[in-house]
Formats: sequence, C-alpha cells, structure tokens
Amino acid sequence: MTDIYELLARHAPEIPRKRIGRLLTDTSEFMNIQYGDVIALDGRHFLVLRDEKERSFGVEDPKYWVKRCRELETGERKILKLVFYERFPVSLGSMEIECYRSPRKEARILDLVRGDGRFMQGYSRDDDAGNTVRVLDVVQGELLSLAIDRLEADHKTYFFELLPDILDKFCAACGAIEFLHLHGENHGDIRRDHLWLEHGTGNYVWIDFDYTYEFHESPFGLDIFGLGNLLLFVCGKKFCTTFNMVRPEFDGKNDVTFEAADFSMLFKNRLANLRKVYPYVPMALNNVLMHFSAATEVFYATVGELLEELQPCADLIRRG
Amino acid sequence: MNPKKILIAVDASDNAARAVDYVAQLLTDTTTFDVTVLYIERPPNRDFFPSDAEWIKAGVAQEEHIRAFLEESRQKLAATGLPQASVNVAYIPHCQSPVHQSAEFCSLGTSIARDILQFQQSGGFGTLVIGRRGVSRAEEFLFGSVTTKVTHLAKDCTVWVVQ
Repeated sequence: MTDIYELLARHAPEIPRKRIGRLLTDTSEFMNIQYGDVIALDGRHFLVLRDEKERSFGVEDPKYWVKRCRELETGERKILKLVFYERFPVSLGSMEIECYRSPRKEARILDLVRGDGRFMQGYSRDDDAGNTVRVLDVVQGELLSLAIDRLEADHKTYFFELLPDILDKFCAACGAIEFLHLHGENHGDIRRDHLWLEHGTGNYVWIDFDYTYEFHESPFGLDIFGLGNLLLFVCGKKFCTTFNMVRPEFDGKNDVTFEAADFSMLFKNRLANLRKVYPYVPMALNNVLMHFSAATEVFYATVGELLEELQPCADLIRRG
Repeated sequence: MNPKKILIAVDASDNAARAVDYVAQLLTDTTTFDVTVLYIERPPNRDFFPSDAEWIKAGVAQEEHIRAFLEESRQKLAATGLPQASVNVAYIPHCQSPVHQSAEFCSLGTSIARDILQFQQSGGFGTLVIGRRGVSRAEEFLFGSVTTKVTHLAKDCTVWVVQ
C-alpha cells in the first residue's frame, strides 16, 4: 500500500504535514473527503484541493461531490466527480420535471466524445467500492454567457460586428448536441452554466452530461428548447425581460406594446420576439427565435431542423 | 383493415383506463367485435439506477403493475358479453427490457407511437383507440405526445381519441 506521506513528500512537498489527510480508494463518503486527502484511482493519485462551487445569483453553492484536484504524478489540475445519486424536480417556467444525476450516463458520453473539442474531456474509473468516478480535464476559459455579457458594445454594434462570428460558433455547438442525439444520447441540462468559451482555441465547450430524465415520445425536445433559450441570450446579448426592458439603460426600442405571444413559451417574462425591440434583427433569424415563443405552432423536431434555418443567419447579418 | 378489429393502446394511466371503459360501454351486448389491449413497454431508465440489480427490480415491479392493468382491462371487456376468445391483451417488451432479455418481438423504444401503428398494421386492426391527457402545447413540444403522433401518422384506420 502506498504511503500518503511518501507520496506527498515526493509530489507535493509544499503541503504541510499537519494538513495531510487520508489515502482513499473508496469515495462513497464524498462529504467527508476534503483538502489534503488523496484519492487513489487505477494507479493514479489525486490530491484534493477543494470542493467545486456553482455560482448563481451571486451565491456560491458548494458541490461536495465534485472535487478540484491535482494529479500527483503529472501535476495536472483535474476535476473528480464522485458518485452522487440525486433525484430532484426542475422547474421550467410553469412546468416541473423529475431529473436525475447519472454517473453512468456521463461516463458513457465521455467515451463517446473523446477527442472532440466541442465537449469537456475526461474518462471514468470505478473506485474500490464500484463508484463510477469521472476524471475531468479543467476547461481553460469562462462561461460563454459571461464573456458575451462583458463585451463593451451596445446591442446594435454587438449585433452587426460580433454576433455573426458568435452565431457561427453557436451553430457548431448545436452541431455537437446533434451529434449526441444521433448517437442516442442527450445532454440533459442545456443552460448558460454549461457552455464555456475555451481560451486559446475559442471553442465553445459543453460540460456536465450527468443529468437525465424520463424518456418521452420526443426525447430530445428539452435539449432543443435549451438551445433555443441560449440562442435568445446570444442574439439579445442578454435575456430581454419585462424587468430590464423598462430600465433607462435598455438599448432597444421601449415604446413597444407586447403580447403574451412575444415571450418564451415557458418563461413568460423572457422576450422571444427580439425584432420588436431590435428592428434590425432579420426576419429569418427572428423566425427561428419565434419557434421558442408562446406563439409558435410548430417546434423543431431535431437540431438539424434548427440548424437548417439558423446557419444562414450569420451571413445574412454580415450582409446587413 | 377490419373496423370491427379494435386495438386499444394503453399505458397504466387513468386516461388509458378511460379509453378501455369507453370501448367496454360501447360494446356492451355485442358479440361481433374483436378487441386487443396493447401495451408497449417503456422500461425504467437504466441510467437512474446505481446498479443493474435495482434496475431489474424496478422493471419487474413495473411489469407487475402493467400486467395487472391489462388483466383488469381484459375482464372489463369480457364482461360486455364478447366471447373470451375475442378479447386479448398484448405486452410488447422493450428490446433492452430489464426483464425480457430475449423477446422475439420487441420495441426499440425510439417511438411508442410508431410501435403502436406497426402493431395495428400487422394485426389488421381497423379501429385504434387511445387515451389522451390534457397537455399544454409547450409540454407537447418539449416532451412529445404519443397520441398526437399516432393521430398524425395513422393510415388505413380510424383513430378514436378518448380525452
């Protein structure tokens, strides 16, 4: 049995002896795994640095089953996702669905997308207790939504000068989701927190594939709706909502009368009909957005259908 | 297609029970119809379970529930006066069923609606009965609806939708 003190003395001598924890081969009790512990997995050793956190609304929510680590043998930063079976309701506007975390699903998708820069990379190994631990590379970058939000440009400048390239890349990200669907998988939780802009490559990278939900007659509908939501954000440079559209700093038309049909089919305060406040949004692009509105009579059955209509829009904007 | 050959597609929901009750009421004191109650298996999602043992256990429990529903439906229909031989039930397992690993006929699970229609066509059923729960348009878009898809894709048969 490897001795943790020897291991750390060799690979991480800066760790004070009093902070050295346990050498673990069973990760079942993930709440008790903390800084200074080392997780041994298939001959590799991962020094736990901290719990990962999810940030939303300015609040940091620790994810005790996700550990920021350093692989001792290579010095690389890794994220270890430990097994946490969770079943929880997710609200989608007025609807609520039952979601699950599935380590097995995420492990399968990691195998499927190996080497594909449109997805986070990693592999899975079972620990001694049979827990499927996912060892993930850290995506070097930031959330795409934060990068877009930070751009210092009014909407019109953003729309004509920056959005076409962003749309091209967004279409590539949609193509990545189509790839999953064509292989019988879904992402399961498409939202702003799960699409990253990778520094260096400029790739849009999907993360976190462990959510799943009950099979339905349209198994990919929820992913497509998620893409539609992201598209509303990308095209608006933000979500245009009944809250921010009445503010003095809002950069779109404000003498507009809205109807319920102008808003998202599920998020009743989120504008889908962007052309109403930004009249330069081409009809073709606005038609795509309106597929996700309360007014729509048809919905995209596949990501391919969405892409067929979305892909030409970038050039349409470039042509002015 | 023989319109007197009736196929009732069910899950174990209240809507499905209403569809069975409707047909039973309609056929009371008739003897010339042939009715089959069909269930296409939608097994528990394997990804939800920590182990295959738990998945199989859930699959067995679900099948027991469904088979009880089918038997109850069969009894209701037989009570109308139809000959015993004219009332049948069919349970089509999923191709990756936790319980029926090597079924001769199985559902791929990609579309329950298409499986129902394939059964209807191959069995020569001229009437297809299916329940429907009230779903919003958003729900229908996001999750799909077996009943809507059946009504869109059905050919050479009459579809009764029981709401």
